[in-house]
Amino acid sequence: MASYILKRVVGSILILLLIMVVTFFLMNAVPGSPFLTEKSTPEQIALANAKYGLDKPKYVQLWNYIKNYCKGDLGVSLKMQEGTPVKDIIFHQGKFELSIKLGIYALLLAIIVGIPLGCLAAYFRGSWLDGLLRVVTTIGVAIPGFVLAALLLIVFSVKLNIFPTRSENLPNFKSYVLPVISLASYYTCYIAKLMRTSMLDAINQDYIRTARAKGVKTGSIILKHALRNSLIPVVTYLGPVTAGIITGSFVIESTFSIPGLGKYFVQSVTSRDYPVIMATTVVLSALVIVMMLVVDIVYKIVDPRITLTAKED
Amino acid sequence: MKAPFAKFSPFHVDPEKVMKTFGIEDDDFNKASDAEKESMVEMHKSISYWKDALRRFRANTVSMVALFVFIACLFFAFIGPYLIPYNYADQYRTSQKLGPFEYSDDEKIARLAEGVGDGFYATAIRPGSITGIDPGNYCFRSGGKYYAFTITELTDKVIFILDRDAADPLKLYTETAVQNGAWADYTAISFSDTPAEGATQLKLVRKVFPHVFGTDSSGRDLMARTMYGARVSIIIGVVAALIVLIIGSLYGSISGLAGGPVDFVMMRIVELIYSIPEVLIVLLLQVVLKDPLKAWFDANSDTSAFVRAMSDLGAGIVSIFITFAVLYWVTMARIIRGQVLMLKKQEYVTAATALGASNGRIITKHLLPNCIGPLMITTCLQIPSAIFLESFLSFLGLGVSAPMASLGSLCSDALQTITLYPYRLVFPAIVLTIIVLTLNLVGDGLRDALDPRLKK
Repeated sequence: MASYILKRVVGSILILLLIMVVTFFLMNAVPGSPFLTEKSTPEQIALANAKYGLDKPKYVQLWNYIKNYCKGDLGVSLKMQEGTPVKDIIFHQGKFELSIKLGIYALLLAIIVGIPLGCLAAYFRGSWLDGLLRVVTTIGVAIPGFVLAALLLIVFSVKLNIFPTRSENLPNFKSYVLPVISLASYYTCYIAKLMRTSMLDAINQDYIRTARAKGVKTGSIILKHALRNSLIPVVTYLGPVTAGIITGSFVIESTFSIPGLGKYFVQSVTSRDYPVIMATTVVLSALVIVMMLVVDIVYKIVDPRITLTAKED
Repeated sequence: MKAPFAKFSPFHVDPEKVMKTFGIEDDDFNKASDAEKESMVEMHKSISYWKDALRRFRANTVSMVALFVFIACLFFAFIGPYLIPYNYADQYRTSQKLGPFEYSDDEKIARLAEGVGDGFYATAIRPGSITGIDPGNYCFRSGGKYYAFTITELTDKVIFILDRDAADPLKLYTETAVQNGAWADYTAISFSDTPAEGATQLKLVRKVFPHVFGTDSSGRDLMARTMYGARVSIIIGVVAALIVLIIGSLYGSISGLAGGPVDFVMMRIVELIYSIPEVLIVLLLQVVLKDPLKAWFDANSDTSAFVRAMSDLGAGIVSIFITFAVLYWVTMARIIRGQVLMLKKQEYVTAATALGASNGRIITKHLLPNCIGPLMITTCLQIPSAIFLESFLSFLGLGVSAPMASLGSLCSDALQTITLYPYRLVFPAIVLTIIVLTLNLVGDGLRDALDPRLKK
């Protein structure tokens, strides 16, 4: 177990390094300079380049990034908030906190609503409830998050005026409702579908029949015996969910005017603020990779049948 | 009666007894007549894999309905633009910001005049102004011919109504005249077959067709744009899925067939790409690729038909294709590799190898055709995910750029004015959802039909 975790941690660090290298070359391939404005002269640009070390050879710049990141130094912003350390921008201006809050609430909503819905659909298989849930979840996975967000905006903010159109810094509960729902809807529906299939699988297993024959109550069978085993596919899906929720937050944050990390990342890409692009990419990727790592380890704990060395294909 | 095969029986069984026990009679040993042969064939008519799959797919009501709805969407996207008189890019400056089924003043007048003859109407548009037309030479095109005319004094709001069948095809009506019911005919002052200056400013509309979805702030018809956007989105989805199909299936089958260290290395590469949060890279890729691609297209647009077609699509869309080619084939590769690992142990592959078939031939002639089920299913389900990604990128302002439209960019444009014109969002959003939904359902149906083992 320990060697497996060690191996995975090392692998994750390597992937992060790779992401840094790829990001570095991609952002340097974007035409234009962060200092290029209508007023700037070539001398000013050269001066600014020298100040921030952009005149050095590319491999030196890349090495500096890696070296500084190991020390926990994420550099300073070149453009968007000139001179401010990127670490402060991400962690101390509430951006990271906002995005994380939004993401965690969406994740929780997806799990808390998705799993019971899937169980209900499996338990009442073939009934009208199952049919209704199937229709809802099928439609749910076909609506892009931003479309749902915009439709919710029209209905609940513009027409009914229940929730605010701009959630800004998420000051109160009301401002959370629409962003979290639109972020979580796809994953809620997907988890419900996944849960239904795996619950049906579990219900037809022999040990369930044994439990039934022993006279265990139905509720207890579902909760104690079937649920535990049918959770495994859902656990594996949580890695991709995290990645998806982070991706989704890009559009949700701009739809609801929330100044979070996702929105900031998109802005930094278009304004070519290299250290900010690098830092946001690394932080967001790290989130996803850590989540995948945790999921893989939890997966092993939940189901000891899985051998960790030879991963199935 | 002597049994016909008594003396051949090696086990000393009494044939009489056997025939009695099993109810066999002598007649049963006669040759079958043609009619009997026919009925035997009927009873055991063999069903091919495809027929069987088709039968299963047909039995699946939900998928069939989804398929028909999707075909309707295809009609909407590909045939629809030819049925309505508006174009996705043309801006009708007098018809800005109309709601569904609303008419601009010009169109109202033209509708009044419609009873006069089955004709055309054209709104004269001067750059920078909505109404008013200066004295001078103008021209417009009708029935493949250019008609030029001259206006001698400044005229407010002119509607030209062309009756194609009449001997004198060009008639001029002023607004007041139409409203008063007195149809003052102004015959065109001069005709010519050559276009005059400012010809491009004239937008011709065949009859007055309602703006079913309304118009946007630049006076573009939203239904035309939605149709066009749906077409762009579907094309992106299909092409991206084909790219994934080609790269993923080749990579997967090479990896699976080769096995050993080659397979190991190839699969580690797949795992690496798989664990990268791809959307972050995709966003960067989009920004990186857009401008260089555009410059390259401008420089090379006349070198070959392929480059020209690509440059027509625009740099945004091509960079989406490149993104798919770089990052999104891994799932397909994994599935095909799994299939190939299973198939390569089959006797027919051994036989092909023994006959000296090359690896390339084994892959293309034996392995891939036998993976057709998973290939079709994964490709079909890849289309909606490509449409999703494209709409996501267009929503963030990457992807396609105006005047081109995709469903995602239409939604994104609509969001700017959502408080004033919510209907602008509703229509593209519904079309997008329907396309993704029906493709998902068709994909599910295909999976159940082609690979019944997977069905729960």
